[in-house]
Amino acid sequence: MLDIVFFLLAFFAIAGAIGMILFHQPVHSALSLILTIIALAGLFALLSASFLFMVQIIVYAGAIITLLIFIIMFLNVKESNLPKEPHKYPAMVVGFVCLIPFNILVLRAFYKMPSSQNIPLETDFGSIKTLGWELFNQWLLPFELISILLLVALIGAVVFGRKDEV
Amino acid sequence: MNAILVGVVLVNIILALLFSLGAAPILVWIERRVAGFIQDRLGPNRCHINGIRLGGLIQSFADMLKLVFKEDFEPKSIKESFFFSLAPVIVFSSAFLTFMVMPFADDLKIGDQIFMMQGLPIDLGILWFLAFAGLSVYGIMLGGWASNNKYSLLGAIRAGAQVISYEAAMGLSLVSILITYGSIHLGDMVAYQGTLLFGFIPAWGILMQPLAAIIFIVTAFAEANRTPFDLAEGESELVGGFHTEYSAMRFGLFFVGEYVAMSASSALIVTLFLGGYHLPWLNTQVLKENMTGVIAFLVVVIPLVSFLFARWIGKNNQWIDKENIRNRESKILTKGLLLINIVIISLLVFLLWIGLEETGTNIATAIIQIVTFAIKLLLMNFVFVWVRWTLPRFRYDQLQDLGWKVLIPLSIANIFVTATVVVVLGV
Repeated sequence: MLDIVFFLLAFFAIAGAIGMILFHQPVHSALSLILTIIALAGLFALLSASFLFMVQIIVYAGAIITLLIFIIMFLNVKESNLPKEPHKYPAMVVGFVCLIPFNILVLRAFYKMPSSQNIPLETDFGSIKTLGWELFNQWLLPFELISILLLVALIGAVVFGRKDEV
Repeated sequence: MNAILVGVVLVNIILALLFSLGAAPILVWIERRVAGFIQDRLGPNRCHINGIRLGGLIQSFADMLKLVFKEDFEPKSIKESFFFSLAPVIVFSSAFLTFMVMPFADDLKIGDQIFMMQGLPIDLGILWFLAFAGLSVYGIMLGGWASNNKYSLLGAIRAGAQVISYEAAMGLSLVSILITYGSIHLGDMVAYQGTLLFGFIPAWGILMQPLAAIIFIVTAFAEANRTPFDLAEGESELVGGFHTEYSAMRFGLFFVGEYVAMSASSALIVTLFLGGYHLPWLNTQVLKENMTGVIAFLVVVIPLVSFLFARWIGKNNQWIDKENIRNRESKILTKGLLLINIVIISLLVFLLWIGLEETGTNIATAIIQIVTFAIKLLLMNFVFVWVRWTLPRFRYDQLQDLGWKVLIPLSIANIFVTATVVVVLGV
């Protein structure tokens, strides 16, 4: 049962990712990206990372892609104004070939992993409390550094977006 | 899998369906009648089945039948037919899913099994609501975009901008609530609200976090796309906004989806701020201890209320033409009330007579709490309707100003104050 769910989610995740690259129309690409993100959220849920599952949907699907689609719709690009992509398929083949070594690396790492089967998780694994505990005890400095990075990006966006006061 | 488990799960699913989907016709009825009264007219009250009008409720069913049998017309200008059809489905299903984590009653204990009384037994609570409430805007944006006309696209863009600016304030106001209650599971939050503040005030969210309550209610209105934030439809400016090109059941799904979303927002407001399924001063423990007294109280009160209600019906529910079939309704309703009273009271007296055991007390508590929740839900929905027909629509820049310059700073300040108080008091 879980295997079937996994294969379905993985299929949608990959199909969305392929669609994101292949579609010509930007709205279609953005929608495929949502499919991928929601399928990934489902995969997180399968791994009993419930907090990550919800945050993936809230932040990525709920906020970031909404903003993306909002901007695409706001620009309202006509079909005739979309750029022609004559070298699309050759470029994809080149990209595919370039990624093969990386894939081999990942697969090797995957098969080298100790075959850890059926290690029972703690009952509160992936819940918001344990995650917060871990984050603010073990990883406090990286967490705060990332917060500062985000804050800088936010202030940068405001500064660049401001009209020049002449 | 045993019979009790299946039974409780079925009851939960049916309750979730009733409170969300089943509430839609009732909400449409409340909306139209209340709108009528606010505008000094009666609203729909003539439609009847063999004389039964139920104060105009039958009109909702007639409307539903009309929507089902209308022609599902799709203009030729629509190129993205798939997304055009997908949009109302997204709105409807995400609105429906948000309702699934609302607790109708305290955890029910039958024998040695404990059940969560909500549509889906998961404890993700608020996060689940935020996730699916955020997804519903895709339906609106897709519908407006796929309709391929300027008005619909404008409606879609407005909806997108509105959700982005109000979801931030909503999330931030929820953070201070999370700090207060210390859990994301809605059941825990309601359990917290069953306690007493200073020994005599019920610790309802609206008293603990008044500012967060106001911010959340305002953003919930925006999230449900209702007046004063219904710029996505804005019928006086944008024809129908994002659903201009829709007809028949594809429009019906948008329509019902809006009411389900409104009901889910009300349910969350009730759960977070108005004590959820708790009666004031009667939390689950007290209710269980005093079950005999509560049942005796009900045996006295239910007939009294029914009697007054029957008199009210007899006085107000009349048709001018004496021969009209609609004049039979009062008698039928009175008889129906009498029958319901006899059934309920004989049941209650029987319960008192055989005495309640632990399981019986638990089930009776759950039933009382479900009824409490339903009444609170209806009242909150009434507030939604009331506001819609009282306040005028915001202008677009006012809407954005309110979101970014008022609600977000206020909610951040509220987080600081709440966190300080929690740390200082060391709760």
